[in-house]
Parts: sequence; structure tokens; C-alpha cells
Amino acid sequence: MSRLRRDPRSEWQARRVPAAGSSATRLRYALGVEAIPATEVAVGPTGRPRRDPRTAVARLAVPGTARLRLDRSGLSRSVTGAGAVSAAPQEKLVIVEAPDFWVLALVEAPGGQPTPHDRQVLGAARLLAGPGAREGGGGVILVSAEPVTGAGRLGADRVVTLPVLAGDPVAAAEALAVLAGHFSARHLLAPESPLAGDLARRTAALLEESLFAEAELVSADQVARRRGAGRLEERRRPPRCLTIGLDRVAMHGGSLHEARELAFSASASTASASAGSILSIGPVERDAATVPLAEAEFVVSAGNGVTDFDLFRQLASALGGVPGASRVVCDAGLMPRDRQVGASGTVLTAAGYFALGIAGAPQHLQGIAGVEHVVAVNTDLHAKMIERASLAVVADAQAVMPALLALLEAGE
Amino acid sequence: MKAVVLLSAGLHPVSARPAPVPVEMQAIALARTLGAAAAGLHAGPGGPGVADALGHGLARIGHLPLARGADPLEALVNHLAAHPPELVLAGRCGQGGEDSGLLPYALAARLGWPLIADAVALEMQGPGVLAVRQALERGGRRTITVRLPAVVTVHPAAPAAAAFAWGQARRGVLEVLPVPSGFAGDAVPAPELRPYRPRPRLIRGAASGGSAADRLKAATESAAADGKLMVGPSPEEAAREILAHLRKLGLVPPRQPR
Ligand SMILES: Cc1cc2nc3c(=O)[nH]c(=O)nc-3n(C[C@H](O)[C@H](O)[C@H](O)COP(=O)(O)OP(=O)(O)OC[C@H]3O[C@@H](n4cnc5c(N)ncnc54)[C@H](O)[C@@H]3O)c2cc1C
Repeated sequence: MSRLRRDPRSEWQARRVPAAGSSATRLRYALGVEAIPATEVAVGPTGRPRRDPRTAVARLAVPGTARLRLDRSGLSRSVTGAGAVSAAPQEKLVIVEAPDFWVLALVEAPGGQPTPHDRQVLGAARLLAGPGAREGGGGVILVSAEPVTGAGRLGADRVVTLPVLAGDPVAAAEALAVLAGHFSARHLLAPESPLAGDLARRTAALLEESLFAEAELVSADQVARRRGAGRLEERRRPPRCLTIGLDRVAMHGGSLHEARELAFSASASTASASAGSILSIGPVERDAATVPLAEAEFVVSAGNGVTDFDLFRQLASALGGVPGASRVVCDAGLMPRDRQVGASGTVLTAAGYFALGIAGAPQHLQGIAGVEHVVAVNTDLHAKMIERASLAVVADAQAVMPALLALLEAGE
Repeated sequence: MKAVVLLSAGLHPVSARPAPVPVEMQAIALARTLGAAAAGLHAGPGGPGVADALGHGLARIGHLPLARGADPLEALVNHLAAHPPELVLAGRCGQGGEDSGLLPYALAARLGWPLIADAVALEMQGPGVLAVRQALERGGRRTITVRLPAVVTVHPAAPAAAAFAWGQARRGVLEVLPVPSGFAGDAVPAPELRPYRPRPRLIRGAASGGSAADRLKAATESAAADGKLMVGPSPEEAAREILAHLRKLGLVPPRQPR
């Protein structure tokens, strides 16, 4: 949206050569690159003008591109000059007042931050509802336990916050079923994740609907999913309850939606017979040492730059990270093979990666391609891992490890 | 204690031949850890895959014969309401049918029993109270205590199933149970099915309707646009900065005052 808009008419006008005398009835335009101004033309010892090809090339270079691009027509410079129009006009807010139907999109959004999966669910909801503000279109209601940041950008027309969703799944499913009934929602979407998938199934059972689980393809008039022991694909018109598989539907891009807050208090009608049967729900525990690498949220990884592995294991457990390693370390038998990160090891789905003494070979980087936050400690400023990291520290990992442990032990 | 393990007519994902569903065999193993008298229950067409479950540790399987493609819910609800066990165990998802994992939920809703999903361990906490260890995303675990009767679905991370034992499979009984005429279940309307062809997953972060340049950018650009570089700091300085950064991202829990 921030691309410059060109106005070819004024670009041509800017190149117009003013008519000299009365004979000039034809319009004349100066094409090509302007001649080097006379003041900059050096004169050689013989009195002949000397051309400097280097400056000529520098003049032709298009600014702002990583690769050298030469523009011999001179058009790209005139964009920023006379012909430039201000960047694209302000984005229009899509407001849907009374849509023909509603699509409910349940998201998890831990801490109010939508996960990539949540964004994709909203993208799918937008596909089912249509672009909005048009005859026969629908509106998207985002449902979450806590307020979600940037809901309008994700394509939500309305936002309903139901704190009850974070608690007992029985009460949460009832609230969701009441909400679906209240808006006579045509579709109810949820991410296919352990907790949200569980909630979607409970709600579908309460609504006595079937569930189109883990949809892989979503469009306004057709959805598809895998079934029959993974050998068959089922296609049908979008049913009422769907869960969306991870990385199957693109997130919403383009129009900005209103995300108007709706007040909705689900009257807790705990009428269901099973209410009160769940006596307690314990806290979530994660034992970092036993979590499989593929499931880990935060991985602390050692490479060939680490020599003290007892210290490394202590540090990983103090940081609450799952220990990982590069292939060199696993080959040397210093860490078990199931801890190897990379193309021939485990491809991570973690949110964070802390690399100690890892060079960042392509095979290793493949394993962390999906990781958003990388912190690297390496003695080599030019290591690929330093380039990949969002916090890169050029230091000795053997010295940083005890310093980190000391900080953590001091309670900082 | 009486437990019932729900069995489905599974297919093997590679050969497409009738085979027991692994996670249901894990459910049998979990029921045995409780010392429960576990019986299998299958509503459907039956077949060799269902009978094989006897060899994985069941002494008896009740079979409610239904036509292929009929909805098993009514028959199961009717049978379980008439002979209520204390615990119903099921796999998290079938393998070979609709594979949506909805049946245990529909069953629990109809029976009015609570449902706990994704169990990896079970333990009795007293008469009629069961502690269920539940598997969550990212290797998380939590314990839920529930008053029986209840429906519990089993997660693939549960302990491995008992190996198939030929003698046990021979000794086990497959008993055909009567299905009252009104409970045979309506045939589910046949959906449009075609052979599955894997489709590539989307590139994370690229928006729908974006250009090829946007997709390329999303695929190749690391998230480290605002990368910070420290060259040759003292170890303490580096450690402080790293810890602050990790805490800001929420990867390391905030400091605990002592
Ligand atoms: C087919 C194939 C598949 C492969 N698959 C994988 C895979 O899945 N996973 C994998 O990891 N590798 C894989 N590799 C190997 C990969 O190419 C690299 O050899 C390997 O990743 C390098 O590991 P490293 O970074 O730990 O070691 P090195 O390349 O030795 O790098 C060590 C780094 O540590 C730094 N360093 C040294 N001392 C210190 C110190 N005191 N403090 C801080 N930094 C220090 C150095 O500057 C250097 O950058 C594969 C290779 C092949 C051919």
C-alpha cells in the first residue's frame, strides 16, 4: 500500500523542452538521461572535456534497491521528482452494519496476541463471510477470552470477549453455543489445536451439529478435509462447525475492518447434567527436559563452540528451555541424537531459539526456519547465525554461560 | 471398576486393510493401569480389525451390529445408558471413517457425562474420583480430577499399547449384542469423496491476495529486521542483555524476588 503512484502525464510535462523561438511548432521532450551539468564536466589538459564513466553510472543507479539497477530512461528519478504523487491514499475502513449472516471465529490469542493459527482462522472466516459491505455478504465476529490486539487488521467486524472461555471447558462450550444461537451464526470456526479443538467439539456436540475437523481448503462455497485414515478427501459446502488446520488458509490481507466491541454476557445457564463433575483443573506443567524437541516452545541449543556440556545442561534447565544441539555435537556423542536441530534432525516449531556457539550451516538454519526469535552467541562476527539472530552477541559462549547462570541464581 | 473402551472399525493408513486403531489400543493399556475390568464396545460393521483388539488386552468385546455408514451414536447411547460403566475410554480420533473425533463428545453430551480429552495417564483418587493427566500443546501436561462416570479420550502420547498376543486373541470373546430396531442409526448422507492428494502447506505470514513478491518476502526474510548486535561485550553485560531480551519475549519467566 505504500508504493509510489506515478502520474505519467506530469512526468511527460516535466520533460517538455520549452519552445525556442517561433519555429518550434512541434512539441519536444527531453528523453533519456539529462546531460551531466556543464559545471561538473572536467576539462583535460588538452582542453577537451573529460567524461567520468563512474559518475555517469552512479547517476543512472536507481536508489533504494539492493541490486544495482541502472535506469537509462531516467523515469525512476522523475517519480520522486515532479511527477510524484503522494503515496496511496489512506486505507478505507470497511464497516458492515447489518450483514446477512454472521461467522463466529474462535481464537486462542494467549495474552491477547493472535498466533499465526489464529490469524489463519480469521482469514478463513473472512473467506466464508465474503469481503463485507456488499449485498449478501456476512460479518465476522472474533470470539476470544481476552481482548485481541489488531483484530480489525485481521478482518474482524465485531469483537466479543468472553472471559469464561479461559476456564472450565464445559461452561466455555455452553457460552459459545449460546453465542452461536444468539447471532444465529451460519458458521463457527476454531483452530484445530488441543484446547480450541476440544472446545469446538464440545460446542458442536451441544449444538447437535457435525464437525468438519481440520479443514485443509476453505472457500466460500466449498471446504475439503482429509479422512478415511488419511487416504480420502471429503468435499462439501461449508457446514456450520469447522476447525481449521494449521498453515492451510492464508491470513486476511487487505481491507481493514471495524472490530467493533460487542457487549455480550453469556448468562451462565449451567443446566448441563455434567456441570460440577469436574472437581479440579490443575496448573499446566512443562518439564523442559522431557519435552520432545518438535513440541518445544523455547530451545537452548549448543554447537561446536560449547565445550562444557554439564554447564550447558544446567543453563538450559535454569532458563526453562528444552536442550538442543547441532549435528557436530550429536555426532561427537556429547548430546543424544534426538536433540539434533536441523534438516537431518528435528525441524522446530518453537517461538524462541538460543544458539550458543553454532555457526549456522544451511542444514541447521533449515531446522529453525520457522522460529521467530533467535538469540545467538558466537565468537565469529561473520557467522550466519549472527546474521539470523534478532539479538546477536559476539562473545565467548564459555564465558557467557556461567555469567547467565550466576544472574539466574542471584534471582535476577 | 468397570470400564468400556470404544473401538472403531479402523483401516491401516498405508495398506487400507482393516486394522485396530493404535490410540484405541493405548486406551486399553490405560484402562489396565487402573486395574479395571475393561471390555470393548464396537457399534458398526465389525471385522477383523475390531477382533484384533482382543489380542491387545481385552477379554471381551461387545458388538452392536450396524450397517456400514450408519451413525453409531444412537446404538451406543442406548447400550451405555442401559448398562452404564463407570468409565468410557475412546481414542482421540478414529482412523478409517470420518476421523473427526466428534463421537466421544456427542456421546458424553447425550449421556450427560463429563468428558476429558487427551489423557496420557489415569489414576484413581478415591472411590468414584479419577485423576486424568491431560496432554496439552507444546508438551504441556495438567491434571484434571473428575467424578465418575465420565468419558475420557486418549492421546497418542499415552504409554504404548500392549503387544498383540495370539493366545489372548483366541481366548477373548466377541459377543454380538442386540440392537433395538429404533436405534440402528440413520445412514449418514454419503459425502463427496476422492483420493487424498497432499497439498502444500501455506507460507506462514503471507496474506491472502498478496503478490508473489510478498510471498517471497514472507518466506525468506527472517523476523530479525530489528536485529541488535553486540560486539565483544563483557560476559556479565552480555548475560544481562540476553536475559532481558528473553524475558521481554516471554520465553523466560520474569524474575522472582527472593
Ligand atoms: C546432508 C547433511 C545434513 C546435515 N544436517 C544437519 C542438521 O540437521 N543439523 C545440524 O546442525 N547440522 C547438520 N549438518 C552439518 C552442518 O553442515 C554443519 O556442519 C553443522 O551444523 C555445524 O555445527 P556447528 O555450528 O555446531 O559447528 P561449527 O561449524 O564448528 O561452528 C562452531 C561455531 O562456534 C563458534 N565458536 C567457537 N568457539 C566458540 C566459543 N568459545 N564461544 C562462542 N562461539 C564459539 C565458531 O565461531 C563457529 O561459528 C548437515 C550436513 C550435511 C552434509
